[in-house]
Amino acid sequence: MKDFMLIFVGAPYEELGLSPQDMQSRMAKWQEWHAKMDKLGIVKGGNALHAKAKRITSTDRVVSDGPFVEAKELVGGYYVVKAENMDAAVEIAMDYPDFDLEGGVEVREVIVFG
Amino acid sequence: MDNQLDYLFRHQYGKMVSVLTRVFGLAHLETIEDAVQDTFIKAMASWRTGMPDHPKAWLMQASKNRAIDLLRKIKADDNRARNWQSGIAAVALNELFLDEEIEDSQLRMIFTACHPSLKAEDQIAFALKTISGFGTREIAAALLSKEETVKKRLSRARKLIVKENISFSLPDPKQLKSRIGRVLEVIYLIFNEGFHSINKEQLVRTELCGEALRLVKLLLKKETYRLGEVYALFSLMCLHAARLDTRINENNQVISIRDQDRSKWHIPLIDLGSDAMVKAAELNSNSTYLYEAVIAVEHIKAKDVESTDWEHILYCYDKLYELQENPMHLLNRAIVLMQLNKYDEAKHQLDALEPSFMQQRQYLYHCAMAEFYICIDDIIMAVHSLDQAIELVTNISERNYLIEKRNRIHVQLQN
Repeated sequence: MKDFMLIFVGAPYEELGLSPQDMQSRMAKWQEWHAKMDKLGIVKGGNALHAKAKRITSTDRVVSDGPFVEAKELVGGYYVVKAENMDAAVEIAMDYPDFDLEGGVEVREVIVFG
Repeated sequence: MDNQLDYLFRHQYGKMVSVLTRVFGLAHLETIEDAVQDTFIKAMASWRTGMPDHPKAWLMQASKNRAIDLLRKIKADDNRARNWQSGIAAVALNELFLDEEIEDSQLRMIFTACHPSLKAEDQIAFALKTISGFGTREIAAALLSKEETVKKRLSRARKLIVKENISFSLPDPKQLKSRIGRVLEVIYLIFNEGFHSINKEQLVRTELCGEALRLVKLLLKKETYRLGEVYALFSLMCLHAARLDTRINENNQVISIRDQDRSKWHIPLIDLGSDAMVKAAELNSNSTYLYEAVIAVEHIKAKDVESTDWEHILYCYDKLYELQENPMHLLNRAIVLMQLNKYDEAKHQLDALEPSFMQQRQYLYHCAMAEFYICIDDIIMAVHSLDQAIELVTNISERNYLIEKRNRIHVQLQN
């Protein structure tokens, strides 16, 4: 088993003008997904991220305020899950609830050293 | 009717916006709505792993915290902002989050939404947004408007509230009757739209009916608002709602009252409606809602269409028209006359009506005419009337129903 990070990319909820009912049903899908993975024992962790960002670049360590990308390319959060291989990890990512909001998932294998 | 938590976010939205408006005032409504929206976004992230033990309490606490944050952001005059963090002010804030106070705030919001200064079309949109927690897209779908139109209505309502300096308060007892009257009208319209929608796709929108019922129940919680007409509206909505499930089938087809499965009419709602009717009659026997409720109960009581007490219903429509010169009552009255085989009188009634008054429900006039022609066996005119109705009807299920009816009687012409 390997570790994979599922990186969620999409416009932050604050910008989408979702109605309370929209948010509730969307949240239910997130809960279902988590419960499903939890049952299989494959979730290692995860977090949602605030949209506000600071970026530090160049050897001068310049600190600039974000966000820096087009809203729909913003990283909103991640899960770290256990899977046999990339295909299996991609399969897990299929349950991401926000595809219809033009969101997406980037799946990356975590490097294990030693 | 529905699982309490099904509309958790929606209902909590309404409650939180009301409470925060009580704290900060109507002028800050937009900021407040954004803040409440934020608490839901936080909840979405935080509850991903599962529901907390007390979701309502969680949301309330989150909005209380948001209130304190907002205080720092909103530029308060004098040093009010600093005072909120002190002991006395903190107690006051906590008080406003008590159940009775939340209800009180919601009532203030209802009266604000239905304030006579606001335009009628704007009142419903504003009510559905701020009290019922509907999104603009949902309101647009419910009211058969464009989303842009809804946004304009909301914006107009908010501006007017500020311009007229409408206070966030309960009405003066001297104006109670007329102010409650406006509220009941808006709630009635919400229910009506849910019961028999002009929407293209969905004929019945249960959640709108549920919302209307919830709002009247809120009014009834306050003793001084337990007026006859409030009980009457509640009664009438319960009685109609009892039949909601049988009005369309799984294939989204319309089922006429002739064919509805009466065994599936919801007894608890019927009981609630009947009890409310008794109270209504005791307090005010002259409200239009009461007569509508009585008509509803006659249908509920009857075994089938033939054994319905049409004479009593006719009497009710007479009284209704006396109280309220709405041509719809005359249209319905004509249909009742047909059930009593009084065809000449019915035709007379129909001819006196001008269908254009009915706007989006114009097709109902032609349906009534078709019924008349079927009664006197003039199939050619019946088909012609149904064709006119089919041309005008907006809802798909209703159109299919009418087309099927037209084809069925058209066959008789060929025989």
